[in-house]
Amino acid sequence: MEVQIRIAGAAGQGLQTAADLLGRALTRAGSFAYLYTDAESRIRGGLNFSHLRCSDQPLHGISQQIDILVALTDAAVTEFSHLVSTNGIILCNRENTHPRTAPFTLASLLAEIGGDKALALLSAAIVCALLDIPRGLMESLVRDHFGSGAALESNLRALELGYRKAGELDHATRFRIAHAPAKAPRLWLAGHESVAFGAIAGGVRFVASYPMSPSTGTLTDLAEWAREASLVVEQAEDEIAAINMVAGASYAGARAMTTTSGGGFCLMTEGVSLMGMIEVGGVILIAQRPGPATGLPTRTAQGDLHLALHAGHGAFAKAIFAPKNLQECYELTARAFEVAERFGCPVFVLTDQLLQDSQATMDAFSTKEISQKRGLLSEAQLADMSSYHRYELTDSGVSPQAAPGISKHVVVVDSDEHDVDGHLTEKPIIAEQMCQKRLRKIASLKSSLDFEPIVEGQKSSPHLVISWGSTYETLREARNHLKKKNALFAHLHLSQVWPLPVERLKALFARYDRIILVENNAVPELGSLLCECTQRAHDVFINRFDGRPFSVEEMVSRLTEVLP
Amino acid sequence: MTVRIDDYRSAVENHWCPGCGNFGILEAVKKSLVQLDLPPEKVVVCTGIGQAPKLPHYLRVNTFNGLHGREVASATAIKCAAPDLTVLVHAGDGGAYGEGGNHFLHAIRRNIDITLVVHDNKVYGLTKGQASPMTTRGTKAKIHPHGVPSNALNPLALAIAQNCGFVAQCMSARGDHLAATLSAAIRHKGFSLVHVLQPCVSWDKVHTYAYYKEHCYELGADYDPGDRMKALELVLAEGDRLPLGILYRTEQPTFEDLALSHLDAPLRDLPVDSGRIERLMPKFQ
Ligand SMILES: Cc1ncc(C[n+]2csc(CCOP(=O)(O)OP(=O)(O)O)c2C)c(N)n1
Ligand code: SF4
Repeated sequence: MEVQIRIAGAAGQGLQTAADLLGRALTRAGSFAYLYTDAESRIRGGLNFSHLRCSDQPLHGISQQIDILVALTDAAVTEFSHLVSTNGIILCNRENTHPRTAPFTLASLLAEIGGDKALALLSAAIVCALLDIPRGLMESLVRDHFGSGAALESNLRALELGYRKAGELDHATRFRIAHAPAKAPRLWLAGHESVAFGAIAGGVRFVASYPMSPSTGTLTDLAEWAREASLVVEQAEDEIAAINMVAGASYAGARAMTTTSGGGFCLMTEGVSLMGMIEVGGVILIAQRPGPATGLPTRTAQGDLHLALHAGHGAFAKAIFAPKNLQECYELTARAFEVAERFGCPVFVLTDQLLQDSQATMDAFSTKEISQKRGLLSEAQLADMSSYHRYELTDSGVSPQAAPGISKHVVVVDSDEHDVDGHLTEKPIIAEQMCQKRLRKIASLKSSLDFEPIVEGQKSSPHLVISWGSTYETLREARNHLKKKNALFAHLHLSQVWPLPVERLKALFARYDRIILVENNAVPELGSLLCECTQRAHDVFINRFDGRPFSVEEMVSRLTEVLP
Repeated sequence: MTVRIDDYRSAVENHWCPGCGNFGILEAVKKSLVQLDLPPEKVVVCTGIGQAPKLPHYLRVNTFNGLHGREVASATAIKCAAPDLTVLVHAGDGGAYGEGGNHFLHAIRRNIDITLVVHDNKVYGLTKGQASPMTTRGTKAKIHPHGVPSNALNPLALAIAQNCGFVAQCMSARGDHLAATLSAAIRHKGFSLVHVLQPCVSWDKVHTYAYYKEHCYELGADYDPGDRMKALELVLAEGDRLPLGILYRTEQPTFEDLALSHLDAPLRDLPVDSGRIERLMPKFQ
């Protein structure tokens, strides 16, 4: 059983507050919610919406069906009423002639309780009642959210009225969801928070960033939690400072991170090659949005894979993770820190606006899989060493890293080519040796991050759909819909897009007649990388590049077009 | 512990031109660190690219030789991660005021406890004599055969106007004065700027040792560095007299006071502690 709710209206009307409360209420009640927000880059006005899916199982795809439309402006009715299902209902703020509107307007109800400050809560209350969420549960959430005073009082009145009015609707029975309380409390959070949780679990200690949508959420979260998690968050004067701070903090022994989007990252590339040269770790979150230049600030895209891959001149190790959903936002960010420190290299986490801003009901995060080992030499180890060479030539290309100030040794790093002690040199033999060392590190990173590509769906189909990043959940749902129509395909989704297990991929691709590539982007990013590495080009490209994510419905129809 | 000058001796071959003003700065830095009894493993010298930034290689000391112009940004983070260390930044006037100009402004705002030593040779030395932000208007330089069309920067006035807590000017050949000023700058809590006039014997035939001998004068004991307006007057004065010494000094809260006060150990020394998320998750239930 699934119910889909869209709350639409102007920026500043509290849509997000209402949707967030609903999601949290559903989570507490024991159901699964997923919230996707479509917002313009403005603070007031325009037409925004928050789309909430609630179900007895996690459904994180983007959907275009509406059972309950809360239309806070007339434009919202005009724009979205055609998506409302035949059993659906429209809760309008003002009088509207649409046949499926409720027999009251939100404005008239607000007038009853006086004041329009409680519009968001009133809408949420009606929807909650329709979804059979216990009123007591909602009331405790409202108390948490509004504290005390006049705001609490008027919202409590709105809550009472909302539940009462919903009871009068004949839809009241139709949307009843069987909530099944979870064994352990679940979380209601956004992708940007998953990334921040991953960073903390991964041991981040220093964050320097210049704000840029859609990465700012993660930066804000980390700043808010800095005290509880013992880290330092600095708003740098620009992205160039941010990345050079990451390199500095990492040299000094702190796990470090920067958060940005494509445009901001463009300013960081010299710093990335600095990290490659001086061999320090650091995690770079690129929350992608459409470019070039400022592009669409609050929209989504998957266009920065090559930007990250080729950032910084010269050859050096790097890894790129692209979480497929909110769970992986946590897991892969945590992992990124471990890899970055162990190998002394930049590691990228590529999310996008969709992942950053969507919210979902999730199981509590586990820390079991996360290594608690630092990748640096300890004080005791350093005390035992008669000499220390920051760039010792090793078989793996990874030299033991020491932080300055904890031993008698001095630690020297240089962005110039350097000798084993970190002092600049132009000697051809040393230059070659150091370059070879960095190349060996690329190889060891690759073998350490090697993985077996996992194919989902109908493995024996001649059609292989390939995707990466945030398209996964929508594709997974589309796959299930298509299965019912007997349109079957194999599905390979990559969450680690660099380094790639090239030989394994080649062998895998050889088993399929046709490769269908799916990307939320104008030009194939993963597609061209795979082609470069495996010499196998995709046959069909399904893409979207208007800054919006694919919906399940769209994905089903686009795949239907290309599957026999 | 008694630190000796030999502790800072480096085996790296020096690449500066014979007679370069940088030698005087190098010796003064050593002298100051010894005066302060700071061992090399407790000091980080952070630099970028240029002639001046090669300085830490000619010392035996923790070194972060990063990117041109970005030395102050990296040093800021080094201090955050390892606040128990003394952090010095050495930059050319090109790196500090040109490529890194924005970081310079923000370092003053942050008032983090690092010392920026700018080697002002009025040119881009390493890249062979182009104009720098300190080059006098009208000077003929490599890329300006008809004269530099822009005015020189006044970093001292800028710093004092922004209430930078420690602003000094020195001359590379006056070793004792420079060493003493550096020591005062390092001891100062907060961001300190030591602007050092440094003759470049290869590319600047005007600002020679003789020139500076003629134009520089040391501020006397009667000079009050706490008087901001007086200091501004001094650095804005027309003419070619160059005051040496601590021009302006004021104590104010540092970046660390607010940004690091919640930590009970340097970030560097903290373990991975994934369990920290347990405290945060209940907010999301
Ligand atoms: C990003 C970047 N741009 C340009 C350069 C080339 N470059 C190296 S040093 C330098 C200027 C050096 O002048 P200054 O900072 O005054 O130091 P000096 O050599 O005079 O001591 C330039 C332009 C570089 N290394 N990095
Ligand atoms: S070029 Fe000038 S600044 Fe550079 S080493 Fe030679 S004299 Fe010194």
